[in-house]
Amino acid sequence: MSLELLLIIAFGGAIVTYLLGKISCRIREGFAVLISLSLVVMIACLYGENGTESIYFHFLGLPLIMRTNMLSWFFAMAVSALGALSVIFSLNYMKNRERTDFYYLMLLMVNASMLGIIFSGDLISFFIFWEMMSWSTFLLISYNRGPAVAAGLKYIIMSIIGSMAMLVGVLSLYATYETLNMATLAELIGSASSGYLLFLLIIFSIAFAIKNALMPLHTWLPAAYAEAPTPFNGVLSGMLTRMGMYGFLLIMYVIVGATRALNLGSGLFKFHYILAWLGAITIVIPTFIAILQDDAKKLLAWSAVGQGGYMIVGIAVGTNLGLSGGIFHTLNHAIYIVLLFMCVGAIQYRTGGERDLNSLGGFIKKMPFTFIGTLLGISGLVGIPLTNGFVSKWLIYKTLILEGYPFLAFAALIGTWGCILYCYKFIHHIFLGQLPGKYQNVQKAPFSMLLPMIILSFAILFFGILPGIPLKIIDTIGTSFGFKSMNVTIWGIASETGTLNTINIFAAVLIVSIIAWLMLKIGPKAVSVAQEDTYAAGAAIPKDKYHYTVDFYNPLYRMITPYLKDFIDAFYMKFAHWIQSLCNGTRRVYTGYVGNYVMYIVLFLALLIFIRLKWSL
Amino acid sequence: MQMIEMILSPLLALIIGIFFLGLSRKIMARIQWRYGPPITQPVIDVIRLFSQKSVSHGKLFNLGIIFSLAGSLVLVLFLPLAQICPLSGSGGMLVILYMMLLAPLGIALSGGESANPNTSIGISRKFILALGYEVPLLLILLALMTHYKTISIVHIVSIQQNTGWAFVSLPLLLSGIAYVLILPAILGIRPFEVVQASQEISSGPMAEYGGPFLALATIQHALSLFIGIALFVNLFLGGAGNLLIFFLKMLVVFVLVLFVNAALPRLRIEQAVKYLWRWPTLLAFIGMIIVLIVRR
Repeated sequence: MSLELLLIIAFGGAIVTYLLGKISCRIREGFAVLISLSLVVMIACLYGENGTESIYFHFLGLPLIMRTNMLSWFFAMAVSALGALSVIFSLNYMKNRERTDFYYLMLLMVNASMLGIIFSGDLISFFIFWEMMSWSTFLLISYNRGPAVAAGLKYIIMSIIGSMAMLVGVLSLYATYETLNMATLAELIGSASSGYLLFLLIIFSIAFAIKNALMPLHTWLPAAYAEAPTPFNGVLSGMLTRMGMYGFLLIMYVIVGATRALNLGSGLFKFHYILAWLGAITIVIPTFIAILQDDAKKLLAWSAVGQGGYMIVGIAVGTNLGLSGGIFHTLNHAIYIVLLFMCVGAIQYRTGGERDLNSLGGFIKKMPFTFIGTLLGISGLVGIPLTNGFVSKWLIYKTLILEGYPFLAFAALIGTWGCILYCYKFIHHIFLGQLPGKYQNVQKAPFSMLLPMIILSFAILFFGILPGIPLKIIDTIGTSFGFKSMNVTIWGIASETGTLNTINIFAAVLIVSIIAWLMLKIGPKAVSVAQEDTYAAGAAIPKDKYHYTVDFYNPLYRMITPYLKDFIDAFYMKFAHWIQSLCNGTRRVYTGYVGNYVMYIVLFLALLIFIRLKWSL
Repeated sequence: MQMIEMILSPLLALIIGIFFLGLSRKIMARIQWRYGPPITQPVIDVIRLFSQKSVSHGKLFNLGIIFSLAGSLVLVLFLPLAQICPLSGSGGMLVILYMMLLAPLGIALSGGESANPNTSIGISRKFILALGYEVPLLLILLALMTHYKTISIVHIVSIQQNTGWAFVSLPLLLSGIAYVLILPAILGIRPFEVVQASQEISSGPMAEYGGPFLALATIQHALSLFIGIALFVNLFLGGAGNLLIFFLKMLVVFVLVLFVNAALPRLRIEQAVKYLWRWPTLLAFIGMIIVLIVRR
């Protein structure tokens, strides 16, 4: 299978979808699903292939190269599969909205450019696809006008800063080595001084950290996630943000190389060690901010920032377990965050766009499948044993503890405990508690929304109970970076310092649950009562909505709120404001009167003459 | 052999846990100059509850309590009881840490479906309290795992049996003291009895349970009591060579904790969290730094 053909289908499919939309909505939707599914199949066929091909030779005198290996296959598979599910989910959600042709064009375009990034074999095509991705994402984030435009602008400004940093790096590499082919660079870079390598890593890290929302460069993410159309949130949070992770892997382990990247700097100030600490900060602070959120999508957005920290910590520690944990967590996080955003999307679809947690509640009886999806999603997010999130977090914790980074491990673990608070808040406020009267007639989510949710729920359990299947692939990636192979079995990891055996846990949980269930069956059958029929120690409970759902963790809020303002965002906004007033001041020079301009010219000439006479140059 | 251990260890945990419940009522009564119920009272209660009527608020209401009890029972399989540890090689301390989540989460999901405000307050308090004591607890456990260079609890116990208790070994002394300070919070007894505070929020998460549900909740409570103390005995008092010594160690710890329970009034949740994030956390933090210095 040729990569060139793959990209042509991906990009061409997007444009054809747009054109078909002018004829009929049905055909357009069918074609969009067909294209995204055929991409999944085509990429699945690439499994195990290693190869490069030049697709175009004379872009500014440089060849554009595509390449495939296990790393690209892994990411491409995730991108295409989640992209296809998001397209299927969009079908009902986007029905009867305006500019849907444009929406599908951009959605498929984002997917196509992500595939382009992943299959790029040289940095110039990487950069081109990177920019295409950033711009099409910007257009999608701003899709719902109003505050969405501001969110989109914030995103694109930060994104451009990142790309400019990357461009500096790319140009400097070209000036030094006269090639941008990744494979060649990886060989040539061995001769570089450590100062130059550090410069390269930092300049590329700026770009990738912005995309991956690493603190303190995360500020675009919460607003962008909250304002983007919900079906696109899947793509945005699942893989697009994690292109930053792909970038980090690329620059640290493919181009610079593991041994060199892990030895830059000295003592506590090693590059990868500082990166890991930034990751740890990214875990803790956003987790606590997420607890404070009352908007379902903002809560998930902050949680996504926090989970990004785990991936960074994982790959920055620089051990085979950490690397595998980081890569595996990227996949796992993508699965459950897409699922959770879909659940929010289903709720929004049925309630007319409601996403304020305080005005929802009691949906468990109305939308049971969505509830099961959410339950599995938050289980994965917390990392409850037998879900996929547990395995990747286990790998990261284990390596942090055994390599002697207990404080990093502490940050990672405390992030998980904070995670339980907001996860429970999320599921409780939407599905448990009292059902508001106006939602008495809410229907189940339509099938085209349930299907992706069911597939993703299944994936969470499948990767949680049989983690060996993806871990084998990840292990191949790790060994290709020069790490020692892990002892992967189908149910986990075998080693002397602590093994993981998910099958044992699964069997034990199953048997014990059956016993507990039988115990409940011994007694007389419980009488089913209405939800309002509760014991309140003599006090009357208001029928529609009791107030304890609002401000659920009130004592905690009072304690932590003063410390958790987004100071970084405030600082950036202040800086932007300052730049704006500076530019406003400069604008005053252009008065629009010809006389003034003539005066400027005369003054300038006078200055030149003065200089000439004074110093007789 | 492993199959027998699989059955034996939850049974033992259940018996000891229920016995502790009875014992606590008796000791509390004697401290307050009352006669108190017979020590078998919890057993009688559980049997009686299984024959009584109950109400259910939905599927999750039933499943949550099963989930919670299952979580506690599985957790017992990961804990070494003297030499018995059926699931020693399946994930170690990290799985135990996560399994400790399941019980409160199950109760929370179950209680959440009944729209009872008392339940809601109780659950909210439980999670805040858990966040409160997990901060020092995680620091303590990480210090322990870093010091012994293993994530397997069986290894931690066996190392202590060769080299002496962690509680009296110098690098881990501060961590041990911090653990003692947070033990009442982990067990959910006074001064940290904010979750079930029966006089305030009518037993919080338990408010809606009756009949078999309450029986399961009581069993779960007994198990969590057992787990909290057994974890401390394993991690800091060196486990034990045989069951009798293990049981005696647990009994001593439990009685001491009961005295604290009898002597102190209940804190408010903010006060509890402030306390947990101050002194125990400080001690655990210093303990961790000491461990790191010793390791270098």
